[in-house]
Amino acid sequence: MADALKLPFAGEEIVRRVSAGNSDPDWLLADRLAGLAAYTELPIETNPLFTLYVDLRAARWAELDPYLETGDAAYVSEVVPEGAAALIEIAEDRVVARGLSAEAREAGVVLDTFANVMRDRPQLVKGLVDGAAHLPDSDKFAQFARSHYALGLLIHVPRNVVLERPIVVRWSAGRPGRALVSRSVIHIGENAHARILEEQVPSEAHDAASEAQSMWWGTSEVSLDQGAQLSFAGQQDFGAHTLVFINRHATLGQDAQLRWALASVGGELHKSRIDNRLVGRGSGVNQAEIVFGDGRQLADLTSYTRHIGHDTTGDLLSKGVFIDRARGYFKGMITIDRSAKGTDSFLGEFAMLLTKQARSVTIPSLEIDQPDVRRASHSSSVGPIDEDEIFYLMSRGIPRDVARKFIVMGFLEPVVARIPLAPAQDRLRARLEEKWPQAQASTQKAA
Amino acid sequence: MTLTQRQMVDNDRSRFDFKDEIVYLTETKRGLTRDTVEEISAIKEEPEWMLKFRLRAYEHFLKRPMPVWTDGLDRINFDKIMYYRKPSEREEKSWDDVPDQIKATFERLGIPEAERKFLAGVGAQYDSEVVYHSVKEELSKLGVVFMGTDQALKEYPDIFKKYFATVVPPEDNKFSALNSAVWSGGSFVYVPKGVEVPLPLQAYFRINGENTGQFERTLIVVDEGAKVHYIEGCTAPIYATDSLHVAVVEVVALANSNVRYTTIQNWSNDVYNLVTKRAHAYENSRVEWIDANTGSRKTVKYPSIYLRGRGASADIISVAVAGKGQHQDTGAKAIHLAPDTKSRIVSKSVSKDGGRATYRGHLKVAPGATGVVARVRCDALMLDDESRSDTYPYIDIQEDDTTMTHEATVGKISQDQIFYLMSRGLTENEAQNLVVQGFLEVFTKELPMEYAIEFNRLVKMEMEGALG
Repeated sequence: MADALKLPFAGEEIVRRVSAGNSDPDWLLADRLAGLAAYTELPIETNPLFTLYVDLRAARWAELDPYLETGDAAYVSEVVPEGAAALIEIAEDRVVARGLSAEAREAGVVLDTFANVMRDRPQLVKGLVDGAAHLPDSDKFAQFARSHYALGLLIHVPRNVVLERPIVVRWSAGRPGRALVSRSVIHIGENAHARILEEQVPSEAHDAASEAQSMWWGTSEVSLDQGAQLSFAGQQDFGAHTLVFINRHATLGQDAQLRWALASVGGELHKSRIDNRLVGRGSGVNQAEIVFGDGRQLADLTSYTRHIGHDTTGDLLSKGVFIDRARGYFKGMITIDRSAKGTDSFLGEFAMLLTKQARSVTIPSLEIDQPDVRRASHSSSVGPIDEDEIFYLMSRGIPRDVARKFIVMGFLEPVVARIPLAPAQDRLRARLEEKWPQAQASTQKAA
Repeated sequence: MTLTQRQMVDNDRSRFDFKDEIVYLTETKRGLTRDTVEEISAIKEEPEWMLKFRLRAYEHFLKRPMPVWTDGLDRINFDKIMYYRKPSEREEKSWDDVPDQIKATFERLGIPEAERKFLAGVGAQYDSEVVYHSVKEELSKLGVVFMGTDQALKEYPDIFKKYFATVVPPEDNKFSALNSAVWSGGSFVYVPKGVEVPLPLQAYFRINGENTGQFERTLIVVDEGAKVHYIEGCTAPIYATDSLHVAVVEVVALANSNVRYTTIQNWSNDVYNLVTKRAHAYENSRVEWIDANTGSRKTVKYPSIYLRGRGASADIISVAVAGKGQHQDTGAKAIHLAPDTKSRIVSKSVSKDGGRATYRGHLKVAPGATGVVARVRCDALMLDDESRSDTYPYIDIQEDDTTMTHEATVGKISQDQIFYLMSRGLTENEAQNLVVQGFLEVFTKELPMEYAIEFNRLVKMEMEGALG
């Protein structure tokens, strides 16, 4: 099973076609081909700890047709939504909106496709993209994106720029039978502060009634220079038949701070991998991830955090709620290198199963080469909704069903509360609540 | 632990570093072929079904690839191993009949004293055959069977055939296949319905002879409402080339029974110790693995309990100390297959001098196993910068009313504790030793006193090596 990934839309011919469609310079085509070689060589899962927990059976690859050419739509809106510093919106294969606030423009913030940025600042693109330093070289899925992407997105916040308001990146996808393969490269300069909200929603071409699958495949390739800070909120809320593959990879310089707040609600199959590389002394990552799975959804979440520099901090939390026949795989690995004295690292993986057929697999692993740590621990629990908590709420006059819902929403709230824009936060809450009547129905059926 | 107790503990490692010249009466050629397997079965005059079983296992061993999830196993040279040797002609009935040379070895291991104290029975494995066995009169009267596994195959064929390889089939893994093909020796225990064995049953194991594989096979069947505590401890002399110990232990705990299995493993640092230990726990039974690993070059062992009957409970305490050149790849598995079952896993590991301690665990709640309560606790202590500690837990939950918690921490000895103890007059060495003993106490306190002393002494010897 480990080597069974034979994507019908992968190969050198396709790579050359998407490269030509993007008018890639020679170095970029060469980089794609290097990615293709790695992709071809790699097994589906290189970590023997996790090979048993890869399940791609849901994907009907042969029915998917990736976009080979992307670009700006005929009309590109420049409106920046209230409360945001900048916005880019990609609908299926086209950029339909792109706007920078006056503040962001003056600060020299870049938010555009590789192809567009390449025209004015080719060196900026080459410096951040060439060699794919911010993708894991042992990951087949990451190397697929590196070689086959049809749309590259670059976000660059120059040094010392402090953006209070978030940069919004909105992807919409879901046209039956179509797939977008993309890369997002994010660079936050020295002492700059930024917030990014990535929203993934069904496109207008999405057809909820259709059983046909669609696919969104992408990356977040983050580099934080010394003293940089980034809060990244991601909200995956695609339609029920979208396959989602994401690689997020971050390299942190000295004293850099990264916060991930990631919610996965939609999709038929959501497979993601996060790599945090704490290279610089005093750098830290705080990661919170939630999943609410229903139907036959599979959420396959892998998270690697590597402590390399002195006095780094990792605080990682994954939470999942599963109903119907939904499944969650939480594969975590914290590595503390011999060089990483003074590490503080915590990994927590928690799941709630609300129906009998739901399933949760958690693998919170640690590999430690340096005992001089402030903390190195993990914790995991799986359990039903606590009857005591239900009883407490009922004693306050809240009906049982509502009490159950409160408890589940409260379990997921730590991530919801970290979504930077209020409307986005409310939308996520609403989506989670929408899943609730189904949860209720399934639970009652089971009982 | 008091100072007096610690002073009782001497520090003579040489006792484990000797080798006696033994005249082996029968031995097979080095290496493993179909002929070797047939020869072993013929020497033992086994029934046809056992020969067939061995050959089936041998075929599977050849087909099965070497596990890749742990490293270093490819260094084992199966062609250099001698798969069977028999040091004396027949099972000895009394101590007087044991050959002097073997007796002298046991003397150095302290078995006669131990027996005089409180041994209920002794099944001592000298190389590949049980050579000495004594079961106290009272146990025989209770109907308890405690003998070499080979002997049990002849004397209790029905019960043997009913349970043998039902818990660990040859196809389970590469090493259970190897053991099934060439097994020899080990203990067989049967405790009849309602019988409580009043004292622990103990077996001493010892490898002697360079490149002698030890492939013992232990089968323990505890009938309904019965109770037993089985203890095994291992010591082995040190040799230059690799030795191999591949054992299979099967425990069948029938309804309402109570089984505790205690192991102190201290193979010499050239031994590959690859053991499959598994218990089936039926309705309302209780199974406990108390397992410590201090020796060997590499240990791969995850005592497992399959909770097959409603209300069964499992308790696994796994302790490992990994020193220079050692990798302790140990852990535990609790597989919940029935409703209202409980499990608790506690793992403690110490790594030092470049040693590596790995915890690997599997906790599974299968569909239908409702009302499960499972707890896992893993703590690792690392004594220096050269050492390594890994934690790889697998938690697979398929029932919605499961209550499962897992906690793990890794760290070093707190300097505050060391300073405090030194301010009370202990040397740094003693202080560190005491902290490590305290860390492992969750294991030590489960042992009979003599074993607790022995174990603390082992830890102390390891610690002194550490501080050199």
